[in-house]
Amino acid sequence: MNVLRRTVLLGLLVLAGFLVFTAAQGKQKTGLSLSEKVRNLHDMNMKKALLRFNGQKFREYVKNAPRNYSVVVMLTALAPSRQCQICRHAHDEFTIVANSYRYSPTYSNKLFFAMVDFDEGSDVFQTLRINTAPVFMHFPAKGKPKGPDTMDIHRVGFAAEAIAKFVHERTDVQIRIFRPPNYSGTVAMITLVALVGGFLYIRRNNLEFLYNKQIWGAVALFFCFAMISGQMWNHIRGPPLVHKSKNGGVAYIHGSSQGQLVVETYIIMFLNAMIVLGMVLLTESGTQSDQKRGRIMAIAGLLLVVVFFSFLLSVFRSKAQGYPYSFLFK
Amino acid sequence: MNHSPGLVSRRSVGYKSLITFTVLLIAWLAGFSSRLFAVIRFESIIHEFDPWFNYRATGYMVQHGFYKFLNWFDERAWYPLGRIVGGTVYPGLMITSGCIHYILHTLNIPIHIRDICVFLAPIFSGLTSISTYLLTSELWSRGAGLFAASFIAIVPGYISRSVAGSYDNEGIAIFALQFTYFLWVRSLKTGSVFWSAGAALSYFYMVSAWGGYVFITNLIPLHVFVLLLMGRYSERILTSYSTFYILGLLLSMQIPFVGFQPIRTSEHMAALGIFVLLLIIAVLRHLQSVLSRSEYRKIYLFGVIAAAVIVFTGVVILTVLGVIAPWSGRFYSLWDTGYAKIHIPIIASVSEHQPTTWFSFFFDLHILACSFPVGIWYCIKNVNDERVFVILYAISAVYFAGVMVRLMLTLTPVVCILAGIAFSNLFEVFLKEDNNSNTFAHKTISYVEDHDDNSMEKKNLYDKAGKVKFRPKHDTLHETRSGIGSNLKSVIILAILMILMMFAVHCTWVTSNAYSSPSIVLAFHNNQDGSRNILDDFREAYYWLSQNTDDNARIMSWWDYGYQIAGMANRTTLVDNNTWNNSHIALVGKAMSSTEEKSYEIMTSLDVDYVLVIFGGVIGYSGDDINKFLWMVRIAEGEHPKDIKESDYFTDRGEFRIDSEGAPALLNCLMYKLSYYRFGELKLDYRGPAGYDRTRNAIIGNKDFELTYLEEAYTTEHWLVRIYRVKKPNEFNRPSLKLSERILTPTNYITKKNPKRRKGYIRSRPTVIKGKRTKKLQ
Repeated sequence: MNVLRRTVLLGLLVLAGFLVFTAAQGKQKTGLSLSEKVRNLHDMNMKKALLRFNGQKFREYVKNAPRNYSVVVMLTALAPSRQCQICRHAHDEFTIVANSYRYSPTYSNKLFFAMVDFDEGSDVFQTLRINTAPVFMHFPAKGKPKGPDTMDIHRVGFAAEAIAKFVHERTDVQIRIFRPPNYSGTVAMITLVALVGGFLYIRRNNLEFLYNKQIWGAVALFFCFAMISGQMWNHIRGPPLVHKSKNGGVAYIHGSSQGQLVVETYIIMFLNAMIVLGMVLLTESGTQSDQKRGRIMAIAGLLLVVVFFSFLLSVFRSKAQGYPYSFLFK
Repeated sequence: MNHSPGLVSRRSVGYKSLITFTVLLIAWLAGFSSRLFAVIRFESIIHEFDPWFNYRATGYMVQHGFYKFLNWFDERAWYPLGRIVGGTVYPGLMITSGCIHYILHTLNIPIHIRDICVFLAPIFSGLTSISTYLLTSELWSRGAGLFAASFIAIVPGYISRSVAGSYDNEGIAIFALQFTYFLWVRSLKTGSVFWSAGAALSYFYMVSAWGGYVFITNLIPLHVFVLLLMGRYSERILTSYSTFYILGLLLSMQIPFVGFQPIRTSEHMAALGIFVLLLIIAVLRHLQSVLSRSEYRKIYLFGVIAAAVIVFTGVVILTVLGVIAPWSGRFYSLWDTGYAKIHIPIIASVSEHQPTTWFSFFFDLHILACSFPVGIWYCIKNVNDERVFVILYAISAVYFAGVMVRLMLTLTPVVCILAGIAFSNLFEVFLKEDNNSNTFAHKTISYVEDHDDNSMEKKNLYDKAGKVKFRPKHDTLHETRSGIGSNLKSVIILAILMILMMFAVHCTWVTSNAYSSPSIVLAFHNNQDGSRNILDDFREAYYWLSQNTDDNARIMSWWDYGYQIAGMANRTTLVDNNTWNNSHIALVGKAMSSTEEKSYEIMTSLDVDYVLVIFGGVIGYSGDDINKFLWMVRIAEGEHPKDIKESDYFTDRGEFRIDSEGAPALLNCLMYKLSYYRFGELKLDYRGPAGYDRTRNAIIGNKDFELTYLEEAYTTEHWLVRIYRVKKPNEFNRPSLKLSERILTPTNYITKKNPKRRKGYIRSRPTVIKGKRTKKLQ
């Protein structure tokens, strides 16, 4: 066991030394041979799944001719001063792909993942004539990259699965994405449970509030409002908050019946809640012992129901073409 | 109504049942007649897609008998695989209409099975409203029940699946659902084995009718579980749940399609788990009465923990071992809402599996959507065992309806119940004649108990729905003086009745405009003279197929039309709406999205004789195959990622366009060619350009092309359906050239022949200059 560990350590040391050496030598040497390149890349890959190239390395390993491997390169700008928010996400996703590939059984010397930061290799951006970031490019083993070798992130996005699919299309290497398990949800759940549990424990002598029907009722109603105002649709489709309408104003209501805006759903939620409040007031007004109070409640309830229902109806009418009915106002 | 108890109460009972009966009858009639729009406008015809299969299966059953039907192997579907129909169908629908047919024929009433199928759903809507009445009166009061029954008779969310001609499982399943819930609540209230056995029987009917029975088998255990959590355990729960579970389990396994699923899939495990939990609690309760307190504590703790651990690990181990199947994709996508979009394009492609906007909620439920939370509020405020059930029902159903448009159907009944409760409460306050000032003490009881004047106002509501009549207000006008005041009361009643009237009008409008199209026959209104034109292209094409093709001809089309082709043309199809075999569908999708040459290989390998495409470009019909085309590509790409790539069908800017800027892969694929063959020559009106597609508002990009491997067989009047015949190999291997193309013009023709082998070449041939001589002559 010990011997094994020692040899491994020794090997690593030698490798590291060799790497330093080659890096130092790199400048003088004009070109590495193919086997050297592959070996270097492989060694680098041992340490990191995603290779980080500067301009000079990029030319060495990706641009220059003797190659029998393809490289998928992400050109990006990670420096905070560049203020590229997407680049960070893209980098995370790309790292996931690279790691999944690195530790997958299909790993070989035929495909490498690399990235070039704008601040380390701006010349790369110039030679490729790229002025946006991030860009995913595939450099095939033979020949130059063509049109489809650049991933169309506007259309397919840059989720790890999309990148893996792109890689599969270009190189026939199938990568199964292994995301590092996301513990944040679990942690949040545990803290929530712990908080609730702790709260219950502290209040253990006074648990009446659990029997408070008002609270339970409010929670249930809130859930219903959220659902019937289409929050689930928002969650799945992710619509914008508001639209900019053509004449410069802001549209809060989506024009067609097929879509909705986030603000719109909040408005609907409010309208529904007001109608419900009005109906509850109306019903409760009958149980009041005080006559005057009952009367006020009844009037308020009536107004709430009628006004907000007609308002809801008019919003509905504005979305449904040709809907003929309206109440109180159009 | 000042009554001395004895005499008048007997009379009021009589009135009550008369009113109940009348209201339910009217609800049935109104529900039935408002579902007849399609029959009156068009004819008594089966609608859409799935109903055609149900109709065909019913016809088969009526013709060949029940056992033949159970063993039916349909070789006309999914060529060359075939489909075992008896084992892959919920037979409840067919058996129901078959029974009706049988009974009517024994009574010598010769009615065609098609008419039974067309009118089955409207008839069952009446039964649904009765069972809703029963359920609501168990939960709240008979007045609320009448409200709920009237609501569900006309609410669009339910009408959408039960118009005449929409012969589908949901039509009868909602009745079974409501009736099962009614029996369950009744059995829970009484704790009697009789009612829970009834619930199990009704559950059996539900299982035989619709896959949505999974909702019942999860909701009832959830109810029991919540009751346990709330500390409401009782012997009644134990009796009714264990009876229901065991009987329901055994009965549901009798359906061939369900088989052993109830003990082998995760969807059903909750019911089992709750059953075990309930038994453990019952045992511990029993021990409590036998043992001393200190002993009991130890055993209780140990027992509960051990039981929980054993059950949980057992289920996990069995799932890992594969004995229990994990959640199926359709159900799983309800929880993980992004799942289907990524993994199962065939589920995501169906429009009714999309999430629901607030618009659809309001469209389908109108005022009920805004008022059912009031019902929840009062149910929570006056909670008891069975109201817990309706609360859970509402919360879960509203969640599911939010995730999928189609599950609006399960939300609708509970919304009607709760809105019925809300409105009944409201009217109870304002229609009551308060003779004494201490009404409020009286009132609190009245939430629980039913009152006679309660059902009185129900009738008025119903009248309101049909025709506007404001009589009740008059009665209340003159006697009320204390409380809120008569004027205010009548204003409020008037306003609420107005809103309810708007609900009725809205329901009729929506039913008439949105849910009454058979989608086999299309109607459009001519703008110039306002006349109504009917497009009957679908049936025209199917009839052509049935008359002009060989009996065994195999028709390739996209899966949407499979059932219709089988039902109306009676020909063999490759794929149909029972989308059980994704790879087969993907193969058809691949054939549609490849070039003509490549798809010919696929078509010959599948023995295709005819290809049928739907093309709406001439009349502007938006549901045609070109608009569905991207889904074909996506589904094909899922199975054949090397041959089909979605990105090829977009332009560089990521647009899907059919004009000359469109992607070349799109302009040359089979679907494009079949849709637009000869369309480039067609001028739709005098001024417009030729080849103008009205659906997509563009001039097509590939106008001039000929088909090599297929030939046009039939195109319907409005070009809606186009049928092509696939040529046999000997028909196109010798291409016929036009006469003008057969002659080769030897312009810059350089021979490769050796100069020595040339024949008849004269070396110093005198050159003849044409035209010179005539000139000389002159």
